[in-house]
Amino acid sequence: MYRYYDIRHVAGEATNVDIDNGVVESATTSFFDRAVVRVLGPSGWGVVSVDNYRDTDLDRLVAEALALAGLTGEAVELAEAPHRVLPVPAPSDDPRQYGLEEKTRLLAGVEEAAKGPGVRNTRAVYTERHEAVRFASSEGVEYAYELGRSGYSILAVAEQDGVVQMGYERRHAVNGFPLGSGAACGRKARETAIALLGAKAAKGGRKRVVLDPELAGVFAHEAVGHASEGDLIREGNSVLAGRIGERIGGPGLTIVDDPSLPEFGFDPVDAEGVATRRTELVRDGVINAYMHSRETLASVGNGLAGHARGMPGEVPLVRMSNTFIENGDSSYDECLAECGTGILLIGSRGGQVDPGRGMFQFNAEFGYLIEDGALGGMVRDVSLSGEILGTLHEIALIADDRHMHQGYCGKGGQSVPVGDGAPHILLSNAVVGGSGHD
Amino acid sequence: MDTIDAILKAASNRAAEAEVYLSTGESVGAELSRDRVRIGQAGHSTGLGIRVFDDGRVGASSTNDPSRWEACLEAALAAMRLADPQPWEGLPAPVALPTDPLAFDAGVTLAPGTVAALLESMQAGAATHPEAAVTAGSAGLSHSKVEVANTHGLRYTDEETHASCSIEAIAGTSTGYEFASSHGLDLDPAWVGEQAAFFAAHGVGGEPLAPGTYDLVLSPLAVAELLEAVLIPALVGRNVHAGRSRLAGRVGERIADERLSLYDDPHRPMGPGAAWFDAEGVPTRRLDLIRDGVLAGFAYDLRTAYRYGAATTGSAVRGGYGGAPSIGFHTLVLEGPVTDVMADPAVYVRSVVGAHTANTITGDFSVEVSNPSMVEGGAFTTPVRTAMWGGNVFDLLSAIEGVSAGTRNIGEMVLPALRVAGQPLVG
Repeated sequence: MYRYYDIRHVAGEATNVDIDNGVVESATTSFFDRAVVRVLGPSGWGVVSVDNYRDTDLDRLVAEALALAGLTGEAVELAEAPHRVLPVPAPSDDPRQYGLEEKTRLLAGVEEAAKGPGVRNTRAVYTERHEAVRFASSEGVEYAYELGRSGYSILAVAEQDGVVQMGYERRHAVNGFPLGSGAACGRKARETAIALLGAKAAKGGRKRVVLDPELAGVFAHEAVGHASEGDLIREGNSVLAGRIGERIGGPGLTIVDDPSLPEFGFDPVDAEGVATRRTELVRDGVINAYMHSRETLASVGNGLAGHARGMPGEVPLVRMSNTFIENGDSSYDECLAECGTGILLIGSRGGQVDPGRGMFQFNAEFGYLIEDGALGGMVRDVSLSGEILGTLHEIALIADDRHMHQGYCGKGGQSVPVGDGAPHILLSNAVVGGSGHD
Repeated sequence: MDTIDAILKAASNRAAEAEVYLSTGESVGAELSRDRVRIGQAGHSTGLGIRVFDDGRVGASSTNDPSRWEACLEAALAAMRLADPQPWEGLPAPVALPTDPLAFDAGVTLAPGTVAALLESMQAGAATHPEAAVTAGSAGLSHSKVEVANTHGLRYTDEETHASCSIEAIAGTSTGYEFASSHGLDLDPAWVGEQAAFFAAHGVGGEPLAPGTYDLVLSPLAVAELLEAVLIPALVGRNVHAGRSRLAGRVGERIADERLSLYDDPHRPMGPGAAWFDAEGVPTRRLDLIRDGVLAGFAYDLRTAYRYGAATTGSAVRGGYGGAPSIGFHTLVLEGPVTDVMADPAVYVRSVVGAHTANTITGDFSVEVSNPSMVEGGAFTTPVRTAMWGGNVFDLLSAIEGVSAGTRNIGEMVLPALRVAGQPLVG
């Protein structure tokens, strides 16, 4: 007999427009319908993922999952957690009111704005996804909501004398339509690609570094967020395990994950029916809480459930949503002045972390040298790496200009939308990687 | 009339040509959390992809509910009307192909007991290094079937089996990871467990590394990560003609050490992506990409080939039923001068953190090395605490000193370990 079951069924539509060098390659809508049934047997979970779900399938799927639970030996318990579904914010500009032709025309405008002398290739991609989510559990929790996300990206590739560089911009929103105002992004991608033709390869070494809000957000995500995920803590695969109450950074440093914020990582309720709430991972420089599912909360403690997220038809995992460094009391100008000689890193090309080892790495889109507190020459292909446990102590200044950026985060083969953000921050000692020489 | 025939019949009244891709799959698996099985899993998947063509325009849509094929067809037709016309000379007609599956092992049955046995063997392997603890692991078996059909009467079916296992271990703050994947049950789960635990245990007490220039031994995994980030996309015809490949216009030029060759070998039995036909129903064939250090060619699907006056290389692949096929590879084989790569002193690069942040066009990368260690005389010697490596993937191709005799299947690639000279590391 089962101790618990739940079903999460997600159906919807995805629209994709791809314009490559002025040619509309595709402008299409597809349909998806997936469900995942989780059953808690005498010890652990049995899970069945199924495409094209019908409510009449439920009893059969629960029985199948219960049989699979027979493979398990881990004694899984679920913590009690509050249930609540937040209202989904009304769309500021609903993409569904625009036809596919209109979206294609707008995207072509973004792509056109990225063209210009020196640019040899442009590619613009629009994505839109609407999900109707239904959940029911053996505890009688039921909910249903609909949520849409849309956005676009633009890539400009510039070439001069055999040097090839790229500029890349993206804007995504939950229940909004950023494409409606996209031409500026096209121009920015072009300007970045052209400017990078004259940039030097960054020289590696230990430096003073200013991170812009986008990259500082990725820093929070990679350096603290992943290592604060309850499943990694439970497995002993995080250097932050067992360190609640320990100081990890200076006073004034607060790092938060908040799925209830209407940013790109918004969840009105988590994937197991639990209310989404703000979790302060680091409060005033001290490790304060972990992110949890009901299961990891029961086994680890210290934190809040409500952080379970899953792609349609996939087992929910403990995931970040909107992760950010709270504003400090400094400013961008003070960060530059205090930096003196160093490097300003801008934009993100992605990052990665090994939470057990405590090492992370991420790359900037580009940067500028800082000389005597002023911006100097542009540099390209620059990365930053560090150790989770030491690196936050190197934050010397936190500005007060926090911005959120949109991205996708991968874990366990699943990719979910996330928001990352921060104000500008100054690191007094960071390992910068680059292939440049003196 | 089955669903595929019904779709093709309906589509043929509305478009010049149509193609249907139907996939179904079943899987069973389980996951370890520390030393216990925490989850048993099964999956049942269905996917339908439709493409329609008329007057150089192509439209596509997909669904995982085949009973909704009519809505899917309408969406594909709407997409077709919006697309810009491009040179197009038609979908392939059927030819006689071998029917024996290249990637199927009837011994792979979806038995939960087999999954449990894989996990137990991995755990037993890991126990040979008791100073390391298992943190997570998984094992899975799957069976999938794909049908490709079009309005020229082409209808091919392929069946594939798959078995895989992976495990993570930790000792202090030193982590290790290993995996194996095959179309058959020839996995060695005990080796997988032993390797993960070895790398975790070996990394404890890593020594600092003086910044400088080092010879490196790249494991097949590290080779895969770097090639996938930069070289593989640069060999895709669409990127080449769109100005997104540094290799554009360089066929016939030396781009790598003259002893290095890279080719796609789709008919290699049990090769990772072994198949007689590609995702568009085009017969597959061997494709030379780098021959004796010289760039030999690029990969094309029908669409890119027609557009740029090239021939398809049978390189259309699908990540699933969704969207349209794209250009990819079936079983990419890297060959070079076999040497004992671990004989002379070097820094071993087990894998790299951050390869996906490489500059895909220039090939420049800056990555953190996972499980770095000094090696010498064929053995791992002093572990290294941290190493950051900046370099360029295209330059690496010419810095190769030798490759290992043994190879591993990683993703769609069959790769040896590589020894490369003179790379900058920062500790």
